[in-house]
Amino acid sequence: MRVPRFSRAKESGEADRRNADQRQNHSFLTATRDEWIEGSESMSLLTSLLALRRDARLLKIPPYLSALCILVGIGWLLVLPLQEYSRNTYVSENALLPGQVHTYFTGSEHNIFRAYRHEVAELVHQPLEGRNQRLAEILRSSGLKVATQNYEYSASGRTISGQNVYAILQGPRADATEAIVLIAAWRNMDGEINHSGVALVLTLARYFKRWSLWSKDIIFLIAGDSTAGPQAWVDAYHDSHSPASIEPLSIKSGALQGAVAIDYPAGPWGHRFDKLHIVYDGINGQLPNLDLFNTAVSIASGQMGIGCTLQRMWKHDDSYQERLQTMLRGMISQGLGHASGPHSSFIPYHVDAITLQTVGDGWHDEMSLGRTVESLFRSLNNLLEHLHQSFFFYLLMQANRFVSIGTYLPSAMLIAVNFTITSIALWVQSGRPAKPPSPVSTDTEPSEAPKMTAVEKDDMVALIPEQSLAIIERELFLPLAFVGSAHFLGLLPLYIFNNTSESSLTLAFHITTFLALLLPHLTAFALSLSPHRPSAQETTLIQCLSLLLLGMFLSALATLNFSLAFLVGILATPLTFVRPTSSRPLAGLQTLLLIAVNPLVVTTLATSYWAGGDVSQLKTVLVAAAEGWHVWGLWTQVVVWLVWWPAWFAESVVVAGSLFGEPSEAKSDKA
Amino acid sequence: MLSSLLAVSLCLLTSFVRAGSDYHERLLLRPLPQNALLASFNFRSNESSSSFERQNFRYFPRSLGQILQHANTKELHLRFSLGRWDAESWGARPWDGAREGGTGVELWAWVDAESEANAFARWLTLTNALSGLFCASLNFIDSTKTIRPVMTFKPEGNHPNMSSPNLHLLHGTLPHEVVCTENLTPFLKLLPCKGKAGISSLLDGHKLFDASWQTMSIDVRPVCNNDGSDCVIEMEQTVDMVLDLDRSKRPRDNPIPRPLPIEDIECDTSKSYNSQDSCFPLVKTSEPSWSLSEIFGRPIKGACPITGEEGENAETVCLNVPAERNVDIKTNGGYTEVPRGEGLLRCYKLPSRDDFDISLPEQTLPTPLLLPQPPLTAARSINGHGQERGSVQAVITNPSDYPVSLIYLESLPWFMKPYLHTLRASIPGAPASTNPIKETYYRPAVDRHRGTHLELLLEIPAHSSLILTYDFEKAILRYTEYPPDANRGFDVAPAVIRLLPSDGNPNAPPVFLRTTSLLLPLPTPDFSMPYNVIILTSTVMALGFGNIFNLLVRRFVAVDEIEGWQPGGLTGALRTRLDKLKARWFGKGEKDE
Repeated sequence: MRVPRFSRAKESGEADRRNADQRQNHSFLTATRDEWIEGSESMSLLTSLLALRRDARLLKIPPYLSALCILVGIGWLLVLPLQEYSRNTYVSENALLPGQVHTYFTGSEHNIFRAYRHEVAELVHQPLEGRNQRLAEILRSSGLKVATQNYEYSASGRTISGQNVYAILQGPRADATEAIVLIAAWRNMDGEINHSGVALVLTLARYFKRWSLWSKDIIFLIAGDSTAGPQAWVDAYHDSHSPASIEPLSIKSGALQGAVAIDYPAGPWGHRFDKLHIVYDGINGQLPNLDLFNTAVSIASGQMGIGCTLQRMWKHDDSYQERLQTMLRGMISQGLGHASGPHSSFIPYHVDAITLQTVGDGWHDEMSLGRTVESLFRSLNNLLEHLHQSFFFYLLMQANRFVSIGTYLPSAMLIAVNFTITSIALWVQSGRPAKPPSPVSTDTEPSEAPKMTAVEKDDMVALIPEQSLAIIERELFLPLAFVGSAHFLGLLPLYIFNNTSESSLTLAFHITTFLALLLPHLTAFALSLSPHRPSAQETTLIQCLSLLLLGMFLSALATLNFSLAFLVGILATPLTFVRPTSSRPLAGLQTLLLIAVNPLVVTTLATSYWAGGDVSQLKTVLVAAAEGWHVWGLWTQVVVWLVWWPAWFAESVVVAGSLFGEPSEAKSDKA
Repeated sequence: MLSSLLAVSLCLLTSFVRAGSDYHERLLLRPLPQNALLASFNFRSNESSSSFERQNFRYFPRSLGQILQHANTKELHLRFSLGRWDAESWGARPWDGAREGGTGVELWAWVDAESEANAFARWLTLTNALSGLFCASLNFIDSTKTIRPVMTFKPEGNHPNMSSPNLHLLHGTLPHEVVCTENLTPFLKLLPCKGKAGISSLLDGHKLFDASWQTMSIDVRPVCNNDGSDCVIEMEQTVDMVLDLDRSKRPRDNPIPRPLPIEDIECDTSKSYNSQDSCFPLVKTSEPSWSLSEIFGRPIKGACPITGEEGENAETVCLNVPAERNVDIKTNGGYTEVPRGEGLLRCYKLPSRDDFDISLPEQTLPTPLLLPQPPLTAARSINGHGQERGSVQAVITNPSDYPVSLIYLESLPWFMKPYLHTLRASIPGAPASTNPIKETYYRPAVDRHRGTHLELLLEIPAHSSLILTYDFEKAILRYTEYPPDANRGFDVAPAVIRLLPSDGNPNAPPVFLRTTSLLLPLPTPDFSMPYNVIILTSTVMALGFGNIFNLLVRRFVAVDEIEGWQPGGLTGALRTRLDKLKARWFGKGEKDE
């Protein structure tokens, strides 16, 4: 089972070099050792230095260093909302010229809008086909090219199907190379019918057709729902759909340059709104170019006088707490990576997109929203290039305040680094022999002095206890196999949760939670019974490797989805500090701590916290996750099951191992 | 009705193949659905071959003639196009697509030269000269944008030495060229009446470039009798445009399409919610009113005096409207109206000096004008996403009752590298064994030297669509090869489709179709980054280099090691004196000791 040659070869370069030096010194020096022992008075400095290098106290530093990293990482995030660490937003792309045009969407357009809103209200109770036929008819009467698209997804045993209607306004002087999209989903994210939003798109389609200044095609998309419909449409637009269930698009235009979705569910009699809620999160935490967001904010608040909010912060007085809260909400939304509106599906295709949602009771009417959209489209129409100037990685803390990746990234990186530091420390520790046997157990040879050896370096000689120089071989097979299989084991729940029908999903979750909490103990128990029961060194190596992987994955993830890396990193911090221990109460305490940060337990707790104690919301979360997997291509679950959970599992086994006897004793006997 | 219409367009076409007079112009106006109007201008001038050789130009523009002679060009086709032809609403293309080009500029010519290299050199001469003449970037048609089509284009003229290997066909496109007024002005200058009289007086940049679709073309070809004698060099210029009537009728000083007052909008009063504040707009079914002076901004300024006096050639304005349509002619001069094509076509002989305006009132017609249906439709798009690969999909639909053969020509830039093994042509509904690709001509790209040239002979059964796909890889360009606005992407020239005549008649008029151009996003660097890096590294280099260079070349010597070292300047001189003085005193002191 053991592969000593292999493990020798796997040792780090640092250790190898040191070993080689020492072996060489040792063989070279043994003959003349006695002479040098006498003359070693002046070498005390070197001795102490070398001794310090091998001092066991040095190994005590990393946990504190890890803790420091975590504290600085969290502290770093907390100072970001301060005035000195965040920046005011600005429009970077000069071509956008937000709010520089006069808008003309007024007058008789209002009458037409009201009529269309009545038309939409009449369609609510009609079957899907009839409804979309009528919508297509209205769009066609405006002189646009209209087509429909059927889609059907199946996730967790249910079928998500619907039909998109879309119309293309061919830019009078455009050459079908570029297009911008105006979306209104038939139902918004809350399941309400988007009466005024759809009516506004119909009115704007008729209004935009009259203008000759469009340099890009404009696509008006009335999606069947807010998540699957736009996803099916944008997939088919880029021909990356599964042709079995999603219809290809019969008419297309050029490369999409931007998309704006309207969510305005006011019924046939209208509703005046107070603010615009700008939703910008994409799938997997990808964000649209900040320029698009800034343009929308600048037009809405600067030109139209409509206040803008984000991340459901209805009241924002620009205090530190509110900024922090906005930022944290943004981070949670980004970390979950779910679709937050019809725009979300566009962002993975590098199409910058936002949703404009009306909120509150105020004095702004549909015409103000229409003019905002008009001005926004005029700005997008000005673009010469794809939006690329501004930031794609940012955290917003107010409509006009943000931090960019350069400022916030160290925070998640420090959290990730804490795992790596501990991992390195554990690696070094695993190469050391176990502590000298305590006097109680070694009374057979109490008088034996520790063997000393002389070490020469730079014409200086030092006497060092041989024990500190001894390098023991690392038994790597079991740790590698264990950590590897723990990561593969994560595929099992990933498969189960994405392929269980809706009705049994909650049950499956509870069973998995139960099993996941029990599994470390079962594994530890099974290992303790097995003939190859893991030694203390192997236990350390298991911990070392799993933390190494965690640190590596999280630092890589931090550059892609900062929030997810940060949240997982924070929740995994206890893994740095748990250690196998001989004290059972301590082991029990560590086990409890680990149970609290189990991914499944965290999911349950977080769901009940946000649902106000309503645990049945768990099903909604699980169904949305499965839908995300099948429809949106969400990989948050991959991170949870293949990065976070294996690390948790490995650590839990390490801790549970100390509940089942002393593995070190058994091993030292053998050695 | 339909057949008669086809006959009309055919008659229009054939009438231009051979004509007696040396200069001829004609404007065809055809209202299209959705408030559109097709205005098709055609100007043709002949020069006998012998006087062309002797540079004795009458109607043929000297500037162009000399360029053609200098570049040994025997036949020339130049196209400037903008916008898209909406075949779904507007039916078949004017001239069956033979007088239009892809978006941007397209140029192809038969050049007389002994070798390919020589032909290419003359081609470059031609493009550079035309570039100056038409204020277009034609000089950017270099070897990467030039192909030599094999099957797609056939010479339109009669070349006595057609079979000789000395006649080279070269074809180049500039899909990103934006056609604008500066191209129209030189175009008008080539006309004998130069836009001052005749139908060309209607051509105004503001209206032409506000059109939904427009194309300008210049064709020069030798036309001979059947026995090859009595050759003339014929130059044909056409301008086709589809105007949006609503947009064109807007006055110049108030072009903004403000919402109409509610009183001017016709509401559907049958709606239950119809009230003071809600109005469901009714779609107008009547034909809109228009007049030449409204949509072109001015009436025709009389006939161009050099057009023929009699017969069909004198009828310079033709209106293709149903017989029931009311037409008012507003002119002070004398004009003649001749009905043609079973009453579907009304042609007018213009008054020689006075303004001529056609005005059509708003009218509801019992039967709308039937438009000829397009023989083929095509759409092409780029699929996939990401910075590394993509695929092109072209859907060609044959709506007719008989199978068609066609030639599909792609000219791709070198940085778009197609994988030919992924080329698939499938016909949904057809048995899988049928391969619609009958012939393939492929010339692969060479990096930075030439683009890909792909020609396919395809066959599509009746009432079916052909889906042609191939994958490609995107090259990474050098830093300096990116154009300004690099993040826009790169334009890929439209594919040219030529429909082969069903009866195999080689003399049948060619039918062409072009897809829209594509926008190819390439991996684009952050252009400010290299500057940051350059500045930073230069600073570090300068600091490091300066120090190390100093250490290497400078010899450090103690002051007292140098014999006869004298510090310069006033202080130096003073110090030397002082030292001498000191030496004397202390020297003496030592001696004394």
